[in-house]
This record gives sequence, structure tokens and C-alpha cells, in this order.
Amino acid sequence: MSVAALTKKLLHAALFYEIWDAMKVTFRHMLHKPMTFQYPREQRVIPDAHRGALGLLRYDDGQERCVGCDLCEVACPSHCIKVISAEDTTRPLQRYASEFFIDITKCVFCGYCVEACPVNALAMTKMYEYSTHDKRSLLFDKKRLYDIGERHLDDGKKYLYAHNQEKDVEQSREYRYYFPQSIQKATQQPPKHLS
Amino acid sequence: MGLKPATNPDVEATPIELSIDGKSVTAKDGVSLYDVISMTGKIIPAMCYHYTFDPFGSCGMCLVMQEGKKAPVRSCTAKAAAGMVVRTEGEDLFLARKKAVEKHLSVHPLDCPVCDADGHCELQDMAFQHGVTNLANAKQKFIPEDTRSPVLDFNMNRCIACAECINVCKDVLMIDALQFMKKGGFSQVVPKGDLALDCEFCGDCLAVCPVGAITNKFSKYLYKPWQMKKTTTTCNYCGDGCQMYLETKDAEVVRVTSPLSWKNKWGDRSETAKGHGGLCVRGRFGFEYLDSQHRLLQPLVREGDRLIEKPWLETMHALVDRFTEIKREHGADAIAGLATARCTNEELYLFQKLMRTGFGTNQLDSSARYGHINFVLASKHAIGLGRTSNDWEDLTKARAIIVIGSNITETNPLTAVRIKEAIRVYKAQVVTLDSAVTNMAKLASHPFLIRPGTEGIVIDGLVKAAIVYDLVDEETVGKHPRAFDELKAALENLSFEQISAQTGLAVEAFKEIATIFAESPRSIIVCAEGIVRRTNGYQNVLKLMDLAWITGKIGKAGCGVNTVTEEPNEQGAVDMGVAPEFLPGQARFDDSAARDRFANAWDASLPSVESGAHLVEILKRCKSGQIKALYVLGENPLATFPVSMEVRAALERLELLVVQDPFLTETAKMAHFVLPAGTYAEKEGTFTNLEGRVLRIRQAMDALGESLPDWHIMTALANAMGCQWDYQSANDIQSEIMKLLPGYYNLGQPRKIVPVLDQYLSNGYGSEVNARYRTTQSSEERTRPFALVMGQLLVHSGKLSAQASGLIKIAPNTGKLRMNIRDMERLGLQDGTKVRLISDRGSLQLAVQPDQSIAPGTCFFPEHFNEPPVKDLMTVSVDATTGVPTFKHMWVSVEQV
Repeated sequence: MSVAALTKKLLHAALFYEIWDAMKVTFRHMLHKPMTFQYPREQRVIPDAHRGALGLLRYDDGQERCVGCDLCEVACPSHCIKVISAEDTTRPLQRYASEFFIDITKCVFCGYCVEACPVNALAMTKMYEYSTHDKRSLLFDKKRLYDIGERHLDDGKKYLYAHNQEKDVEQSREYRYYFPQSIQKATQQPPKHLS
Repeated sequence: MGLKPATNPDVEATPIELSIDGKSVTAKDGVSLYDVISMTGKIIPAMCYHYTFDPFGSCGMCLVMQEGKKAPVRSCTAKAAAGMVVRTEGEDLFLARKKAVEKHLSVHPLDCPVCDADGHCELQDMAFQHGVTNLANAKQKFIPEDTRSPVLDFNMNRCIACAECINVCKDVLMIDALQFMKKGGFSQVVPKGDLALDCEFCGDCLAVCPVGAITNKFSKYLYKPWQMKKTTTTCNYCGDGCQMYLETKDAEVVRVTSPLSWKNKWGDRSETAKGHGGLCVRGRFGFEYLDSQHRLLQPLVREGDRLIEKPWLETMHALVDRFTEIKREHGADAIAGLATARCTNEELYLFQKLMRTGFGTNQLDSSARYGHINFVLASKHAIGLGRTSNDWEDLTKARAIIVIGSNITETNPLTAVRIKEAIRVYKAQVVTLDSAVTNMAKLASHPFLIRPGTEGIVIDGLVKAAIVYDLVDEETVGKHPRAFDELKAALENLSFEQISAQTGLAVEAFKEIATIFAESPRSIIVCAEGIVRRTNGYQNVLKLMDLAWITGKIGKAGCGVNTVTEEPNEQGAVDMGVAPEFLPGQARFDDSAARDRFANAWDASLPSVESGAHLVEILKRCKSGQIKALYVLGENPLATFPVSMEVRAALERLELLVVQDPFLTETAKMAHFVLPAGTYAEKEGTFTNLEGRVLRIRQAMDALGESLPDWHIMTALANAMGCQWDYQSANDIQSEIMKLLPGYYNLGQPRKIVPVLDQYLSNGYGSEVNARYRTTQSSEERTRPFALVMGQLLVHSGKLSAQASGLIKIAPNTGKLRMNIRDMERLGLQDGTKVRLISDRGSLQLAVQPDQSIAPGTCFFPEHFNEPPVKDLMTVSVDATTGVPTFKHMWVSVEQV
């Protein structure tokens, strides 16, 4: 070891150079605004395309959008969706989901079910806080899913918009498929977009 | 169009040669171009084509380019001709086909996600294959759904007018219940006359519909085709043994589909001779009992007058204690057993083994005793073959068929379809002899209505006519001249006039029928409930054998005497030895060589020869107190026999009644122990159908609740009784049967056995025929004018189908007596009028309803229902030779209340 190197080392040791060097970062950050935020007192702003908990949506007149077609079930890669469908006896030709289950513990938040839905009944919301002491309550049933959909309706609509699935209310009834709306008599007027 | 394929067995089609895609192909003359192309293995899309009927040519998909024509031609309706040069591939053809798909799609609702056919839809497949993504000028039909029928919904928005449903109904099933009707600017499929669909409800239209235009009400919206587990199994309603697919989701049976489907549409029409792959209403819509609410899920044990649910272990301990006690105190002959022919071969084999080696008794019987055993014993006695001698193919290709005493469309619908095909495709002459206007009589070339209960006398007349009008086959008769002389002598004292007066058939009719039967190259007799379930059933089958013998129809290819069975495995029950007179393989129980063989194989001694008892005898012994314990496997004698049989008293006398059944039947309600058994969907095994084919049943779902397969329960019971049985599965039992009865399974094909008449005709034939052809004095003064007949309905089978809610929806118990409309007018009765029905056994009040299929002088009540208890008006008579109880026919009077 040369004399110069030895002198430098002694000097560093005597003046606690490493500590000053490390503290430099600390002092510099004291002048910055903090990067972290105080969760849960502070909430983060989430982008529209965020994939959170799933919810079922209704049309503006309160009618359920879901037609119980089981396509979300088949699209789901983790097999966490179960749909049981039936015919609505009051409205002929109307199929609806009499029961709808999503096991959110199994969900991988891929969003395929939303893409598969021909009526955009499913949407992902910005809700992600559903931790619980009872794992069984994480099997979302139809009622819970509609509750989520109702509470986070705006989020759901924004999600669909962000994923290019639905732009506005007008489109919400007239996207990819038109389902026969309870044909009661042969002379019924066809809907607007088909006339 | 009438493009009948050249499948007539009498005419050899001339071969023709044509060029397809540059390759030279040889084909039969007379078939369509599409058939020739599909025969080479090339698949051209076609949505309206199915091999079971003539091409219709509406979809415009099967286009090919024929040399010399400017535009593409539809290959299905074009006849293949020698020297044709045909191209099936190419860009132009692809685009032409794509245009056809677009045409169909442009008026299609595109509601695929909510359509039941989604994923199993030919239009979807075609749109995908041809890359149809854009539709100009799409419009909608807006036709309301037709939901009037109890079974099928017609959504004509989705219809592509392929007419497969109409064609299969008209051409294959000869029901003709559907038609096209122009309504609202579109051709729609509607039930005949645009009324609510009222047909046989076989559902074959549903099976061939390539889109979702026809849907099944019982499973509507419950499924997507890809979600279900599909199990190939055998139907357990009748002896036809139809193959079907049971589609299940976990423990829920969703629907039943058939091999007949738009998906397998390629084939030669001659292939349908072995069956067209369809199902009947029972098979297709009668599945709901499998996961019914009423299934037994727990063993029940009697405590006082209640049945209490108990765990298996406790139940079995108590049960075995009771059996051992009774055997120790009263001997093995105090135990008897009854089994139903709805069990598998393996279970029936195990049942008789348990009875004979476990309990040491030969008092056992199956439901084949209600009739089928008459045929088995008679046929075995005459020609040495204890089952029917012809299969479905023989039936289809027969030239003459005599259907006697059989409402075959109602009892065995798919065997009836074979006869329908014989009529339609092979131009057979069909003679029906029945006391009702059966469905087959409406289609037959020679329908004859006879007086009720005179089937036996009709056969007398036929045998006599064959001899008198010299229709006998000299060669066959020449081999046994003495027997023929004896037969002739026995028939001497019968006169046509008397027979004619008794049966209501004209004298000339006998000559006509006998001539048709004797002169056609392939003649078949089908006899069923009107023969084997009535008095003198055994003798009447032998008379039919005589008729077939003297006309040279026994041992000749495609000829023979046949029967049909009501339950799926009646043949198997006899073959497996569930009858006191038979060991497995129809070896006689008193045959010492067979006894030794089975005793060695089972490592046990068999019960003595004399101790055996059949069904009626068992019930008699129960009543007399000789039998103390009865083990009932799925049988329900209490609900089957008339009250005069005193079954209730017999069962009440028992110290131990064990019933093993999926449902709490009337008999089970009286039991001391009720063991929950699994249905056919929950176990493996085989059925032997009426042709003698052994067909597999496969497990489709797990056993419901704590129910177990019958073989499992019996193995446990036998081991507790001290047997050393080591069966882990139905397969183990099967391998034991294979060892003992080599060739029984025979890969599911009926074994060909050459009938031998020599022994029958040489040993005591003279005295037999003398007794057989006695003149029956019908001049017994009948005080009661109407014949009451109890029989089967198309929609029901035994008492089991009453558990299938779908079948009950289609045909509920009306509780009404069915009568001819003219009789009703004569008596001044309206539909629903209450009448008093009086027989020698008693009387009851019930309403009447008109029924077209009932002949004047007859009234009918379905045997499936005991509400009101019409069966209790019947008298039971027991056949002296075979012990078959007959109680389906009675003289009654009808009085307005």
C-alpha cells in the first residue's frame, strides 16, 4: 500500500467520511416532497383501465344486463365463475342468470370475462378493498356482484370505455349483439338500430 | 326427389364410374352425387342433408362444379351418373358456399350467446369455416316462439328451413307431425295444421336440427354443450336397448342426446337397417327420475310403524342378524327373492348366486315371469333357442311381417321404427292382428282387427289355412312326415267358420295372411304382450312356431318368430338364471352336469331340484307362512298384481321383508328394511336387449346420497352371510360370467344359433298338438259386454316412468277409462262422464274419455297407474306350464252413474 492511499484511508476514518457520504442522500431527500403516501388515510388515484373487483351492471332503467350466456364462465382461465341460467317466465325468450358466482380468491384479474361478455354486463371496478376474516365471504354471489356494480357504476362504465367496449348510454343497448326483446306478437316494431 | 339408395337386398345395383377431383370412383347406380363424394372421404358442407332420409336440397351448401354446366350444382339432389366429371374444391366454390352461409345468416337473429345450440350449431361452424364477418342487409324475422307443446319449443327466428326435422319425422319415423307453413312472410316449421304439437314426442327432430330452432323444454337454458360430461350408455326403459348419451353436470342430469344427430350425417341409408340411432320419448325426455327429489338416500329400518333413517353399518348388521336367525330357525327354504329386469346382467347373476349359495334357496324369480319367460320356454322347447331368433336388420329387410298381439309402437318404439323402415324403404307387407287399432295397424298393408283375447284362435286359423291351402314347404315338412300328419290330424276338428265367428276375422283373411307369410322369401312373426302376457301364452307361441315350421321359415335366413320385451333386461334375467328352472346360460336347473359345473365354480352346493318356486308360488308360500323372509330387488309386486292376488296379506305375513330400490315403492313402504340402490346412471354393467345383444351401461355420475349400486350391496350381504366374495367392481363379476358362460358377451353381437327342430318334432309331438289345438268353446255365455285391457303407453314404462316428471307432464294420469267413441255415443257418454266399471271381481267409479286407438267393444286403462285401482278388477290366471300370471284382460260392463 502506498503512502498516499494510507493517508487517505486514515483521513476518511478520522473524519467519518462514509457517514457524511451516506447522509448526503438523506439530507437531499429532506428537501423533496415524499414519494410514499399514508395508506389508508390517503387513497391513491387509480387509472380507468385498472382491473379491480368484478361487478355486474344494470341498464339505466334498472334491468339486469346479464343474459346468463355462460360465456364468461368458459373464458375464465382460473375457472372462478359459475353461472346458472334460466328462462324468465314473465318475458318469453329472455334468458337470465338465476345465480351467478365469482370466487374472487381464485380470480387472476385478467379481464377476459369482461371481454367475453356480449352485453357488457360485467365490468371491473376500482374496488380492491375486500379483505375479510371469513374466506367464504369472498365467493361473490349475484346480489353482491350487483351491489358492487351499483356502488361502482361510474368506475365500471369508465373501465368499459377505457377498454373500447362501450362508449355511452346509447351504445350500451346496441353493441355487438341484439337480443330478441320478448317478442310477444308478430307485428312488433323492430328496435331502432335495425329499422 | 326420391333418390332411394340402391340398398334393396333383392336387387344388386349396377356399378358406375365417375371422376371426382380427377380421381376415378366406382359407385352404385341410383345414389346421389353427394353420397358418392362423401363415400370417398371428402366432406362437403351440407346443412340440410342427412343420410337417413332422401335429400331435400334447400341449404345450397353442397355445391360442386360439374363439367358441362356453367353454374355450380347441388350435389345432394343430383343423381350420380356414369362418366360425370366433378370438381369439389376451388376458390369459386368456396365463395359460392360462403354466399349461401351469408344468405342464411342475414335472416338469423345472431342471439348465439342465449341459444341452446351455441357451440353445437352447424350454421355457427359454417360461418366460422367460411369467414363470414360482415352482413349487408341483415334483417330479423320477429316471430314469436311457439311454446304450445309440452316438450319442444319452436323458435322459428333461428330456423334455416333445412327441413331436416320434417324429413326425419316423415321419412324415417313415419309420424309426419311437422310441416312448412308460410307465415309472416317466412316459411316456418309448424306442427301439422299449426296446432299445438301432439305426436309421439320422440325428439328426433330436436336431434337433427342443425341450429337452435327446436329446443327441449326440460333442459332449456340450463346448459352450454361444452359444459357437460357425455356418457355413452344404454337406455333402461324397454328391451330395445338403444344407445344414448347421458349428459350430466356434476350430480345433475341435464339432457339425453342420441347417436342420431346433425353431426353424424354421412352414411349409406342401408346402415339404418341396424337402427337409425334415434330415441323415443321415454329415452330422450324420461331422464328426470335419475336425480329426482324422491330418490332414497339413506337406508331405512322399520321401527314400529315408521321407517327410520339409519346408517349403512347398523342396517346391515341388523339385516344380516335377521337373515341368519330365520335361516337357522326355519331353514333355507324360508327365504325367497324377487328381482327386477331393470338390473344389469352382472347384478342379476350375483342375485341368483346370492340366493342359491348365500341363502341356499331356489325360490327366486325376476320380472321376466310376467310374460317373457313364456316365449323363452316355448322357443327353447321348440327350436332350442331361448330368445328371439332375428335381429333388427332381419326385421328391417323382411318382406312379410306378422305383428300379432303387439302394440309395438307403444311398447318398443324403436323396434317399431324398424318395421316402419321395412314398410317404407323395403316395401314389406305387414299384417297386424290386434284387438286395438294400433299405430302399426294404421301403417300396415294388411291391418286386421280381431276380437279381444282371440289371438290364439287366430293362430289356429293361420296354421289350418297354411295346410288347407297347400302353403306348406314340402321340403321342411318332408323331413318330419309323422309330426306333420299329427299336426294335420289335430287341426281336423277345427272349422274356419267357427274360428271366423270367434275371432271376427273373415275366412278369406286367413288364407290371405297365410299366403303372404308363406310365399315371401323373408317372413318374420313378432308376438308380444297380446300373446305372452295372456292365458295360454306358452301354447300360443308354440302354435306360431308350428306355423313357421310348416311354411319352412325356421332356420331360414331372415325368418323366425320373435318377441319384444318390456323391461330392458328381461332376456338377461333369464340368461343369468334368475328363474327357478334355469341356471346361468339357460342351463336347466335339474341338469346334473350343469349343476356340478356351477357348484364347482361357486364352491358351494346348490339347493335341491324340487324346492324351487316361481313368482306366483313364492307369493303363495309367503301367504301360507312357509316363506319367512323375502328379498325384493327393485320389484314391486304390491303395485303390479290385482288385489285378488292378496299380495298385501302375503307380505304382511312375512317376518322379514327387505326391499332394495332407488325409490320408496308401495312394496318398500311395507318393508322392514329398505336399502337405497343406485340407478343405471350410477353404475357399470351390461343389459341384454331383445335381439340378444349385450350392451354396456356406463357410470355417468356419482351415487346420490348414500345409495350404492345393487352389486355392491349384494356383495356385502353375501360376505356377511359367510360367502367369500371378492368383487371390487362390476368388471370382476363380468370376468366370472365370461369364464362360466364363454361367448355370452360376444362383443355386443347376438350369437347366431342354428335352430334345431328334430327333438321337438320327434318326442311326443302328437299328444302335444292334440292338446294345443283343442276347439275352445267360446260359447260360454258372456254376461259382460266389454273387454277391459290394461297395457302400456308409449310415454311410460312400468311404474318407473311415473317418477320422471317430464314424462308425467307429457302424459299425466288422466284417471279416465279410454273407450271407443262409438261405444260412448251408444251408451250416451261424454268425455269425463262418470261410469261404474263392473267386473266379476268388483266395481269402481271412474270417468271415461274417447280414444281413437280403442276398438269398439273394448276399453283400456294404462297399467302404469293405480289411481283409480283398475287393476284390482282383474282376475289372475296362472299358466300351468310356465307359471306366468296373466291379469291384463277381463270382461266388464260399463254403466253410467
